[in-house]
Amino acid sequence: MLSAYFIHLLILIGIYIILALALQLALGYSGILNLGHIAFYGLGAYTSALLALSGWPFLLCFLAGGAVAMGSAFLLSLITSKIKGDYLALVTMGFCFVIYSLMLNLDELTRGPLGLPGIPRPTIFGFSFSDNFSYLILVTIIAGLVYLIIKRITDSPFGKLLEAVRDNELAAKILGKDTFKVKTFSLALSAFFAGLAGSLYAHYITFIDPSSFSLMQIIPIASIVIVGGLASLPGTVLATVVLTLIPEALRFVGFPSSILGPMRQIIYALVLLLILIYRPKGFFGKVELE
Amino acid sequence: MFYQILVNGLIAGAIYALVAAGFSLIYSTVKFVHFAHGGVIALSAYMLYLFYSMLGLPFWLAAIVAILSGSIFGVAIDYFIYRPLRKRRASPTIILVASVSVLLLLESFNLIFFGADVKSINFLDIGTGLTLGPVIITSLQIFIVASSISLLILLFAFMKYTKMGKAMRAVADNKSVAEIVGISSERIYTWSFALGSLIAGFAAVLIALEQNIEPTMGTALMIKGFTASIIGGVESVAGGVLGAFLLGLAENLGIWWLPSSYKDAIAFVILFIFLLFRPEGILGVKKSNK
Repeated sequence: MLSAYFIHLLILIGIYIILALALQLALGYSGILNLGHIAFYGLGAYTSALLALSGWPFLLCFLAGGAVAMGSAFLLSLITSKIKGDYLALVTMGFCFVIYSLMLNLDELTRGPLGLPGIPRPTIFGFSFSDNFSYLILVTIIAGLVYLIIKRITDSPFGKLLEAVRDNELAAKILGKDTFKVKTFSLALSAFFAGLAGSLYAHYITFIDPSSFSLMQIIPIASIVIVGGLASLPGTVLATVVLTLIPEALRFVGFPSSILGPMRQIIYALVLLLILIYRPKGFFGKVELE
Repeated sequence: MFYQILVNGLIAGAIYALVAAGFSLIYSTVKFVHFAHGGVIALSAYMLYLFYSMLGLPFWLAAIVAILSGSIFGVAIDYFIYRPLRKRRASPTIILVASVSVLLLLESFNLIFFGADVKSINFLDIGTGLTLGPVIITSLQIFIVASSISLLILLFAFMKYTKMGKAMRAVADNKSVAEIVGISSERIYTWSFALGSLIAGFAAVLIALEQNIEPTMGTALMIKGFTASIIGGVESVAGGVLGAFLLGLAENLGIWWLPSSYKDAIAFVILFIFLLFRPEGILGVKKSNK
């Protein structure tokens, strides 16, 4: 019993690691304060779920989830190319809210607040990931791949360029770098990975509804990224594990399940506030959020 | 039909104006986005529910307690969260992230203490309307529009003629110069939180009477109030009020064609358009250094 619960937690941690690493790429390495990250997660989940329900094979749904999120990030980047700072944060929040409204209101497609039940578990080349243990292996492999890809990118000269844009965009421009292209690429890739995470979530839980993708869901992910430290990949992984496990302790203290959800949110909000006030670099961060 | 839409827009606008006026007042002096303003409104509405419906205080007394508690919450948020952040010179973006966390914190508190179900204050009979020519309007709605407008006139008079109002405008205009002539900006910040949140408390009472009280109402109201401020010009209270009435009309005209649950999305699409093309708002002055 405990081990089944433990596997469930590990799967969620795996999905969260992908989501947090994706935000780390945009926020930590490129300095794009994207408070609408959850929109990409949700787009990935809905795209993948809808395609799977109409009979597409898992791998295609999975990649399509990432691709749709990526496409929307490209559009978002185009329209926000001229704004930055708190205005950018607000527009990305607005973006998240518009996507959420669409999920809620496009009844014919998304069934609105009723959500989409019966999303099939993945089958890849005839192998079915129907039990949780095999799903855990799938999530672990994908999370590992995402980690390696992001590490590869951020260690490369291009990664240094991203950090240069984050630290001093004007200087990067003076050196002849197309900073808009750099930021668009970073946001699009970040959205792609977030979309993949959404797809994994949808096929794991097998049911999605708009409430999982509301604006406020950004707070847990932002807490993880900022607590772990900006531009630190190991920090992000560690923070995901710790911050996902802490609220679970409440379950064993014996709180009723109706207040577990809000308690979890209170913990994330408090952690984020405390870290912003007392340790803005997080635990392994190289830079401060600006 | 058209006149009814106009009147509905006016009623919605009056409520948004109260949200936006408090928000803009705070923004004009402190210069960061106090997103938790919506949380203060929600919490004040729950205070009215607590004192009137649960503890059985007379309505007017409970309303006064709710309005005052709004002011206290606002000042407390400033004192415990924003002031430490200001001390370590956090950027407006960080404070925005902190304020979104505070909003989530307040929402979660409401959920834990008052439950997820919708509450209503049954003080006035809102079912029957008066027929005035082509439109139907309830006496409460007339009261809302009238009191909203009188409160806003009072606020303008306060800002224009009292010493405190003048000091607030001085800090809003140029903080350094205001400090040189001996105005303590920290003190003015506290006062603008006190006054802005007092208006939030007043808005909470009217909203509690007209609509229902639910844990997530803060976010929904804040999106409206904020959008209104951006439309009109975030730096001025007058702009916020103008934007609020325009938004109320736009939404009510919009749901002529669209399902009514798209109301929120309409607000955000308008917000997008303004942030992208005229971030200084209708009444705002374009700043060359931005």
